Amino acid sequence: MPSRRFSRPRAAVVLTAAVALLIAACSPGGGTTGEPTGEPVAGGTLTYASGDAEPSCLDPHVGGNYPQALIATQYLESLVSLSDDGEVIPWLATEWTESDDGLTWEFRLREDVTFTDGTPFDAEAVAANIEHVQDPATASSTGYLALAKIENVVAVDDHLVRLELSAPDSALLESLSQVWVAMESPKALERSQEENCAAPVGTGPFVVDEWERQESVTLVRNDDYASPPADVEVPEGATLPYLDSIVWRFIPDSASRYAALQSGEAQVIDNAQPDTIRSAEPDDAIEELDAPRPGAANRIELNSGKAPFDDERVREAFIRSVNVDDGIQSLFFGTAERSYSPLSSVEPLGLSEPDRFAVDTAAAADLLDEAGWDERDAEGYRVKDGERLTLDFPVSTNQSIPAEQSLFEQIQADAKTAGFQVNLHPLDLSSWYGALAENDYDLVSAPYTKVGPDVLRILYHSASIEPAPSGYFANLAQVDDAELDELLTRASATSDAGERADLYAQAQRIILDGYYILPLYDQQNHFLYSSTVRGLRAMPTVSTPTFAEAWLAS
Amino acid sequence: MTLPVPTTGVRRSPAPGNRRWLLLRAGGVLFVLWAAATITFFALRLVPGDPAEAILGGPGSQAGPEALEQVRREYGLDQPLVVQYLTYLGRLVTGDLGQSYSLHKPVATAIGEQLGATLALALCSLALAWALACALAAWSVRGGRVAWAIGSGLELVAAAVPHFWLATVLILFFSNTLGILPPVSVPGPLGIVLPALTMAIPLAGFLGQVMRESLLTAMESPFVTTARARGESEARIFWRHTLRHAAIPAVGLSGWAFGSLISGAVVVESVFARQGLGRSLLSAVQLRDVTLVTGIVLVVALAYTVMTLVTDLADRAIDPRARAVTE
Repeated sequence: MPSRRFSRPRAAVVLTAAVALLIAACSPGGGTTGEPTGEPVAGGTLTYASGDAEPSCLDPHVGGNYPQALIATQYLESLVSLSDDGEVIPWLATEWTESDDGLTWEFRLREDVTFTDGTPFDAEAVAANIEHVQDPATASSTGYLALAKIENVVAVDDHLVRLELSAPDSALLESLSQVWVAMESPKALERSQEENCAAPVGTGPFVVDEWERQESVTLVRNDDYASPPADVEVPEGATLPYLDSIVWRFIPDSASRYAALQSGEAQVIDNAQPDTIRSAEPDDAIEELDAPRPGAANRIELNSGKAPFDDERVREAFIRSVNVDDGIQSLFFGTAERSYSPLSSVEPLGLSEPDRFAVDTAAAADLLDEAGWDERDAEGYRVKDGERLTLDFPVSTNQSIPAEQSLFEQIQADAKTAGFQVNLHPLDLSSWYGALAENDYDLVSAPYTKVGPDVLRILYHSASIEPAPSGYFANLAQVDDAELDELLTRASATSDAGERADLYAQAQRIILDGYYILPLYDQQNHFLYSSTVRGLRAMPTVSTPTFAEAWLAS
Repeated sequence: MTLPVPTTGVRRSPAPGNRRWLLLRAGGVLFVLWAAATITFFALRLVPGDPAEAILGGPGSQAGPEALEQVRREYGLDQPLVVQYLTYLGRLVTGDLGQSYSLHKPVATAIGEQLGATLALALCSLALAWALACALAAWSVRGGRVAWAIGSGLELVAAAVPHFWLATVLILFFSNTLGILPPVSVPGPLGIVLPALTMAIPLAGFLGQVMRESLLTAMESPFVTTARARGESEARIFWRHTLRHAAIPAVGLSGWAFGSLISGAVVVESVFARQGLGRSLLSAVQLRDVTLVTGIVLVVALAYTVMTLVTDLADRAIDPRARAVTE
């Protein structure tokens, strides 16, 4: 239950500086990627090659994973967006208010926006979208969680919508900024799921034209596009988007993808691997966009729910024994920066404590002795009561890139010196889920993308140890700390920004203090693109690239 | 092996024995299909984990309990495994391959969309493999002992190289170095060259090895001497007489080869980002889409069995000895 102790009377009318920004934007032709500027050129077709699996549904309400977010960013838009500083700014909603008790939110909507099927964007449309995400038949996962606290949606008038919550939610705006809950045409949502998955209808700069499975999705220009987020400056006399069309391809093989970029078959590729980025560096014709994902940093979680990591000394000993920095340096070729925080570096409220992760093998040895692991067997592993200090580490080969898997092997080698036997189990996704559900792990690394620090509640609140019917649970470190629970619950309920920041800082300190996690680096999200592509940027929300302002230089 | 081919056999109507044999073989086909469906169904269910998670988006999207419950109900995943199996089998018998939950569409539609691309790739690869194998044979037969040894060695290497390695080498050479072929599949005939070559080279090595043996026997046969005595050119003797005889066992293998090309498309279609069943199979396995995996396995099994049946029929028509065995 969220505590309301700290919610104080407040009527927050958020009018952002973005309007001022628009007025101040008198300098035309400012490219967002900072390359040599020039007048944007309209027209042309850009080919995007994705290394992710082809989404099974182009509507990100259904399911809700990152590949869907990547492509849906091009044709769907959200109520709000974020500025580069992480501040919430208007998008399809122009302003919003929160009631004193935090239970009622009102959003004023833009009145000049139409979905690409001609349906007007209005309060009823917002209601229909929230209903669609919350309908179990939609089978939404990410969006469903994001909107979990919305109990009722009321269209007050055509362009004013009221959300009534079951409990105050300080993460509501951040949640609404995510493309997984973006606005789709209510008329289109009434079609069958098969139809809507094949061609969702939004208000974005592009329209889904054709989807040839396992070949490409063709997106064409929305000629009536009128609703970029508030941080977009449209040069005088220009109309967004500049591109005529985007061909969205799926090229799972990393080498083929890079070859396609080099040969000009593709102009933008995602999932660029460290070695590829390194080899592209001297090439003037290829640029890099590094857009770490928000939410949690990539980290190794130590399962505190069972032996041997139920003993904090053993957790600390493990973390003190392994040298992560050198591994990242050699395996990621300087493309990834070490993280010392539970949160991604793009999260303004992240707490980073590098000193805590200094390698100290002597201290680690003492800790293990203290914890009773004071003998070594013939192979040099620590032993207690005749049992070897063994750690099972299931690795999802779908989620961990090769460089990360190599990093785990280096960690394994370091840990061996300290007397830990780390057993790496490379598994396909389903088997990996299975191992977690069976509590068959001591170490695990799982990504989690979400806008805002509320991800901490999902990952470390003891309620998240309770498995879903499928057996999956998000609190993989199995942190069970009443004080932490209390902090996270309060942080998610408060509407005071300063207090929220303080509560999340305290929460992160508890997580770091308890040696539950070994942070590695931000969730890597590297794009390589031809230098003919200008105006490409990543959305400050979930770090997906947007082509709304992109153009092709001849 | 070197018996002249009786032409009368081809035109003969099937004898009663032939019909029984055909019925038996058709039953065999059904048995193979049933076994393939059953083994795939249970193999996928034996892997730990819940397909409901995969249905709801897999990595990076953690599903709520209500959504999972709904999915499990909708796809019958909450039923006992035996019930799920029998339901599935019952549908199969009526020709309904079911609904793919990873693609949100009927399996038959999903396969229909991808089958053409894979068939085109398999046929091109098969044709290319034959062309390569014959060309190499022609060159090495006439080039003396050294050429023979080189040809034999090349075939051995070709038959042994894995697809993913070969694909990368071909991309590096034809796309990065020469810049004449696209590294990934593009619309039009140009896009199929590298994928087909990748599949054809190992197969050519295999076909070549099979041909080589009988090529030797054929070259020393009386009909070659006769042809030479008639004054025919060496090239004509090779293409008209020797190769034709040597090719018989390889032709028989083509049925098997076609099936193996369809299943072998998994790697090549992924590397070259081509449409096709192989790629569907890969993602379906990863997503635990049991109905789609089983559907594709059935199509591949069908391709194998039908092609084997066809080659067996051809063999019986060509070679009376094959008929005599079962009659």
